[in-house]
Amino acid sequence: MPKSGFRVVTDSTADLPRAWAEKYGIETVPLKVLFGNESFRDRVDLTDDEFYARLGRAEKLPTTSAPSPGEFAEMYEKLRPECEGVISIHLGSNVSATVEAARVGASSVEGLRVEVIDSKSVTMPIAFLCKVAAESPTLDEAVKRVNERVDKCRVFALLDTLKYVSMGGRIGRASYLIGSMLDVKAILRVAGGPVESVDRIRTRGKGIALTLDHFRKDLPVEYLGIVHAQVPEDAEAVRQTLVKELPGQEIEIGEIGAVLGTHTGPRALAVVYIRK
Amino acid sequence: MKSAAAAARKVVTPNVVDGQLFKAALLGGQSWLAANQEEVNRLNVFPVPDGDTGTNMLLTLQSAVEDIRESEAREISKIAALAAHGSLMGARGNSGVILSQIFRGFAKAVQGKDVLTPQELAGALEEAANAAYRAVIKPTEGTILTVARETGKAARLAADEPNSNVISVVKAAARAAKIATDNTPTQLAILREAGVVDAGGYGLQMMLEGFLKTVEESEEAARVIGTSVRGPRPAAQVNLELPEEGWGYCTEFLIEGRGMVVEKVREDIAAMGNSALVVGEPDLIRVHVHTNEPTKVLAYASSIGNLTKTKVDDMSKQHRVILEAEVPGANGQSALQPLELRPNGVGMVAVVAGSGLSEIFRGLGVDGLVEGGQTMNPSTKDMLDAVDSLPYDEVLLLPNNANVILAARQVPELSKKKVHMLPTRTVPQGIAAVVAFNASRTGDENEVAMNDATRGVQTIEVTHAVRDSKVDGIRVKKGDVIALINDKLTHRGDDYGSVVSLALKELGTDDYELVTIYKGKDARDGELKSLTESIEKDYPKLEVEVLDGGQQHYPFILSVE
Repeated sequence: MPKSGFRVVTDSTADLPRAWAEKYGIETVPLKVLFGNESFRDRVDLTDDEFYARLGRAEKLPTTSAPSPGEFAEMYEKLRPECEGVISIHLGSNVSATVEAARVGASSVEGLRVEVIDSKSVTMPIAFLCKVAAESPTLDEAVKRVNERVDKCRVFALLDTLKYVSMGGRIGRASYLIGSMLDVKAILRVAGGPVESVDRIRTRGKGIALTLDHFRKDLPVEYLGIVHAQVPEDAEAVRQTLVKELPGQEIEIGEIGAVLGTHTGPRALAVVYIRK
Repeated sequence: MKSAAAAARKVVTPNVVDGQLFKAALLGGQSWLAANQEEVNRLNVFPVPDGDTGTNMLLTLQSAVEDIRESEAREISKIAALAAHGSLMGARGNSGVILSQIFRGFAKAVQGKDVLTPQELAGALEEAANAAYRAVIKPTEGTILTVARETGKAARLAADEPNSNVISVVKAAARAAKIATDNTPTQLAILREAGVVDAGGYGLQMMLEGFLKTVEESEEAARVIGTSVRGPRPAAQVNLELPEEGWGYCTEFLIEGRGMVVEKVREDIAAMGNSALVVGEPDLIRVHVHTNEPTKVLAYASSIGNLTKTKVDDMSKQHRVILEAEVPGANGQSALQPLELRPNGVGMVAVVAGSGLSEIFRGLGVDGLVEGGQTMNPSTKDMLDAVDSLPYDEVLLLPNNANVILAARQVPELSKKKVHMLPTRTVPQGIAAVVAFNASRTGDENEVAMNDATRGVQTIEVTHAVRDSKVDGIRVKKGDVIALINDKLTHRGDDYGSVVSLALKELGTDDYELVTIYKGKDARDGELKSLTESIEKDYPKLEVEVLDGGQQHYPFILSVE
């Protein structure tokens, strides 16, 4: 870990690659998944595989909740002796109360500068922002660089079914329609504001092609990733396609964790990036 | 009588709040919020309409009281500090976090105090609201924050009255919470649109009403035993009965079923509310009841039959909130959703025959259905009436049959509304178009996207020749199985499977992923099974989805995409 004098904190929805967590000493505060009255800390009490297995069996869909301010405060207290400041980058306020909890948690910690950043995004763009922060020389510079990129975070996600997202209520009710008994898929966009339903489609092939079309309109990109819920083969196929189109571009592959997975359902696939 | 009661009150009304009374009030608040948890969830549309505000607030409050249950501390500062710490650790959701800040502010204001006078109580409530405001980066009016502030203000005014006491202050706070909550739709557009009050504000109102019940009860208890207030009443004894004059929902619906026992239903419904009217026959029962738990009533009713004409009115609100009830899901949860108009102001009308197909179109968002199709073509007027009856000024019209397109073409000229006629020639084209509809795009944009989607789907209609003839160059005998690709006769044969296989071969299945079979009214299950199996055998790469269309004339309609 570089002796930069500040530390990076995120939450479990950043889908942070393990290698980055280790290399940069990035700390993760877990959100929670509730199956009925059973509460699990994302990726602490429940692995992704266990989660999706349970999701398949569950009679009633799980719900999710943000960490409490106290849990953030505990994390900041833990880091206080080790550093001069913290940049804490989190799941967007457009979909979660996590940022608010982090801010309240930070305000209760004395003697430590904590900069809380609302990513306004979901999944790996948050991890990209963490990397940007960790590679900055100072906390001030980290805040500046991250803030410059927040509005450039984009997610285009193909949901294999609308069942989970419609139950979770994370997208405006008027902007989507439950697909009745027909098997309907949707492409959602997260671009700094409310989650929008961009397309409804019936076949996966068309969905993936349309997702890539949306992405191509946003080129060039600084960081690029593909995240998936239990469909590594699809993620790899998309990566192969993009590698050919964008030689030299690094492409991260990540897994959609339990909290986001509660809302996307299994077989979701998303292209995630920060625009240049 | 009156003066005697007033005299009694003068003697025993608690004039200070100590730790144990505050503890009792918190437990009472928790009970009352728990009793109203589902109602709070139902209201939840802001900031994220995920229907969990009640649960989040309750879990936060539970965490707040966790450590104080066993505490015998008389000092209010100690109980308040425990509540602040507990709620901070357990806060969930936006409202939960704000609630934790309310406790934090309250605890800070009462630091070092053993008891609170009515004036000090009011001051602490004000400080609690201030703390909540400070904690939020961009405070939004019309939320729990507003309700907290109005509560503090009202408490201050009540405390400054001569002869104020703890009850008068808490009563004023609870009343102000209700007024502020009822007022939230005028401050926040999203609430207005959804026809609800703010869920977090309502949750806080429930909590304060629970407080009030507790302090009133403690007064009652003190009067009965003739001593000053000592020790809390257990929270479970907080009066959770529904007040006669309000708070309930006027709930009405029809149950369609078979062999229902009206008397039994009447008894069961009556047990869930008051003013119950249950009348009808074994196959159709009309229900009217005032209840605090409409979802419970609906869940019960849907366990004995199908619900229609469901209407739930919140009688405690100035305005009426009409809810549309869907048939509850397998988990017994009834999907109550306020009727909501689309932001783009665009509606859809489809021509369709068959119960299954009607349901599919409805489920995809079609607002108006006109019955008709191959054998029964609807008139221009039928379609015009459907278009004009929608609450939208712009309408997309889908004829879904080549023979209906001509009549549908007249509708845009005759209607005062802006009507886009999409020339869908088959049911699969219509479904593809509706799937592509997006409520955040304009009517014109939708027309383009939906017409594009129509071109991406191929239709195979399967039926029997009604007489010997030669159509499109193909000679058919009466009773032959025939297939039409996109409305044009292409193949004949002796059984469904072989004819469909030929049609799929002609389409070239390499370009397609999914075959959806809509089963007609006259198709047998065995025929469906062998058709499905023959497609899966001949075209293993295609995914096959089967739906009950219920259409006449065509035993099977297939969409290939």
